[in-house]
Amino acid sequence: MDDYTWKDKEYLKERMEYTGIHPQKFALWLAMASMTMFFAALTSALIVKKADFQTWENFKLPTVFLYSTICIISVSVVLHLSLVNYRKANFTAFRLLLFAGFVLGTAFLGLQLLGWNELKEMGMPLAGNLSGAFIYLITSAHGFHIAVGLLFLLIFLFFAIRSRKDPIYELKNIANPKRQFNLELLVSFWHYIDIVWIYLYVFFYLNY
Amino acid sequence: MHSAEINVNTDLHAHGHDHGHDHAHGHDDHHHEETWIQKYIFSTDHKMIGKQFLITGMFWGIVGGLLSVLFRLQLGWPNETFPFLETFLGRWAEGGKISNEFYLSLVTMHGTILVFFVLTGGLSGTFANLLIPYQLGIRDMASGFMNMLSYWFFFAASVVMLSSFFIQTGPASGGWTAYPPINGIKDIALNKGSGLGFDLWALAMTLFVVSSLLGGLNYVATILNMRTKGMTMMKMPLTIWAFMFTAVLGILSFPALLAGVSLLEFDRLLGTSFYLNDIIINGNLLDYKGGSPILYQHLFWFLGHPEVYIIILPAMGIVSEVLSVHARKPIFGYRAMVISIMAIVIIAFLVWAHHMFVTGMNPNLGAVFVLFTLLIAVPSAIKVFNWIGTIWKGSIRLNTPMLFAIGFVSFFISGGLTGIMLGNSAIDIQLHDTYFVVAHFHIVMGVAAFCGMFAGVYHWFPRFYGRFMNETLGLIHFWITLIGAYAIFFPMHFMTGLPRRYFSFANFETFNNFNNLTEFISVAAIVVFFAQLVFIVNFFYSIFKGRKLEGEYNNPWGGTTLEWTAPVERLHGNWPGEIPTVYRWPYDYSVNGRSFIPQDEPLEPGEVEHK
Repeated sequence: MDDYTWKDKEYLKERMEYTGIHPQKFALWLAMASMTMFFAALTSALIVKKADFQTWENFKLPTVFLYSTICIISVSVVLHLSLVNYRKANFTAFRLLLFAGFVLGTAFLGLQLLGWNELKEMGMPLAGNLSGAFIYLITSAHGFHIAVGLLFLLIFLFFAIRSRKDPIYELKNIANPKRQFNLELLVSFWHYIDIVWIYLYVFFYLNY
Repeated sequence: MHSAEINVNTDLHAHGHDHGHDHAHGHDDHHHEETWIQKYIFSTDHKMIGKQFLITGMFWGIVGGLLSVLFRLQLGWPNETFPFLETFLGRWAEGGKISNEFYLSLVTMHGTILVFFVLTGGLSGTFANLLIPYQLGIRDMASGFMNMLSYWFFFAASVVMLSSFFIQTGPASGGWTAYPPINGIKDIALNKGSGLGFDLWALAMTLFVVSSLLGGLNYVATILNMRTKGMTMMKMPLTIWAFMFTAVLGILSFPALLAGVSLLEFDRLLGTSFYLNDIIINGNLLDYKGGSPILYQHLFWFLGHPEVYIIILPAMGIVSEVLSVHARKPIFGYRAMVISIMAIVIIAFLVWAHHMFVTGMNPNLGAVFVLFTLLIAVPSAIKVFNWIGTIWKGSIRLNTPMLFAIGFVSFFISGGLTGIMLGNSAIDIQLHDTYFVVAHFHIVMGVAAFCGMFAGVYHWFPRFYGRFMNETLGLIHFWITLIGAYAIFFPMHFMTGLPRRYFSFANFETFNNFNNLTEFISVAAIVVFFAQLVFIVNFFYSIFKGRKLEGEYNNPWGGTTLEWTAPVERLHGNWPGEIPTVYRWPYDYSVNGRSFIPQDEPLEPGEVEHK
């Protein structure tokens, strides 16, 4: 990322004292507000349809979604630990944990697919009753965010693994403040989509 | 906790900086030469990105305007044929007459292009990018990279949208609002535009939303976190307040559109029935069960209404600034202006269902929306009052930017008054989907926003390019636009009951008495369209041949704001030396016996700061 403003050390310091927050971190928070509106729109659509649709078929949520909830919580924990290790410069642990986060995140997407399969076997195909269709819709919208998170995680992982045999390269490309900041942003994003899933799971649990 | 993290960051950063030169850290090198591509194509500089938005917006303005000329030909002269149309449009205009299917595509694409690509992307993308760093004393946006992505997503959206004109079934034709069920079923036997054309529309809109979110996040983060020393919130020019709240509206409302379109595409491509229920086509009952098209309308208008403020707020901000500069008077009621913008933004989220009074909604619920709709007239009226108060007894310079700013106020009043009528559900039920509505929204958010945009372009052109635009051509452009736009839209108020979007009224005896009027409107529309070409010619001519800003004197209008303290030549970082510090509010015109006092001039001993 080429960000002219952040090359000017004095300038950066001045602004930080002035507002106390890095503007790009603030931008991420705004993005979270925006994504929250997106999921609020989807879930409120569900509430509206449930209220006015006579033939809304209720069913029991696939149990797989419980496992995927556990899975995504563990992603958050693992990525947080990875960040902690990064700050302590334990790069071996950082790399392992980052990799574990990537694997668990991928596993989450796999579990969601299993959930869809279970829904289908229950007699709730995509083009069937609206009550099922909403689950497909909302999980895929959330899954898209997960996929974007995984993509960025993969980029990080690439740099982290490439540097493991060369400490100088590691210092230059991994342990620089810009990259630490980016890692913080990425981990915050993962915490956010984790919380969104927990919200969605509770929301589904209460509505189905 | 945050401050601790930040200290770590800055210290590390400082550390990296000190040792940067030892191992040729590309990251710290800000004296490197930009390549041509970095400078003009994939630029991260806010000024270049602003220009990219402006020129793309101008391209779309011409396309969107041309589409309206085409359908005005059909409406004005329904019995004539225009053989040249067949030459250009082929089978869309066989025998020189626009087909009814293509007519619907024209109105759909005209709306989409003007609302989103010109008056959202082109207006707020251009001026927010140009002015936020300049007026607040910032070297560049919070993230130049994200800003660049914002433009390139806009560009990608443009390419996709434009490509839909060149496919066999033609572009989307179900209205710019994209209502289901007509757009919810991918069946070209039903409506050609509901085929691939609509999918491209949805893809382009998704890319557009991403672009506008990336831009919006950047604008708000930059305004709130990166202002120069002394630039408190209440010392910001009104343009910046307007851009900030525009971005906030976009951030909170565009996701609803994205959700609405996602459900629509699920229906179209995957066979769900979120919006569809018991559809019968040619006697066959389709397999859709349980959906409701009203749900789409709620999701759409939750964006759709704030969208009109996304369009008008930047224009309001620009006009406030231009009126004050060219009337040589402080803005009247700065604080009231700021509070009005906030009030408009809050109420903007509570009025969406006034677009849906005829959907069979509960009249009691409708009454709530009537109340909020009429309430939004209050801050709007305060702003109008303050604009008039600003130019009252001013030393007015009647140059092109000022005239367009005054034109904005005129159109905003004329269009706003009909808004009060339409806001009442009892009247709206009669007027819904008639030309009265067309007249209302074109005047209040179409032409008015265009006037604000033109005022901004003429006013800040010297800041963009270091030259002036030609004044004579500007005046010709203004007067034809002002008179012409009234000639187009004013008569529409009196076309009682004439439904919008109809291809032809030949079968309706009752509307025959409007024939002369529609012809008159069409002539006016064509004249106004060609007047805009004067602007385009003036714009590109002036970039290369316009009158230059002279030497050190780079504050041609005598403005107080910081953008006029920056040097004329384009400079990545805006100011060669230190960034100016701000000591006073942005509207010190005609005070202390002086024409203006720049914001970066310290208060004189004993001078009381404007509060």
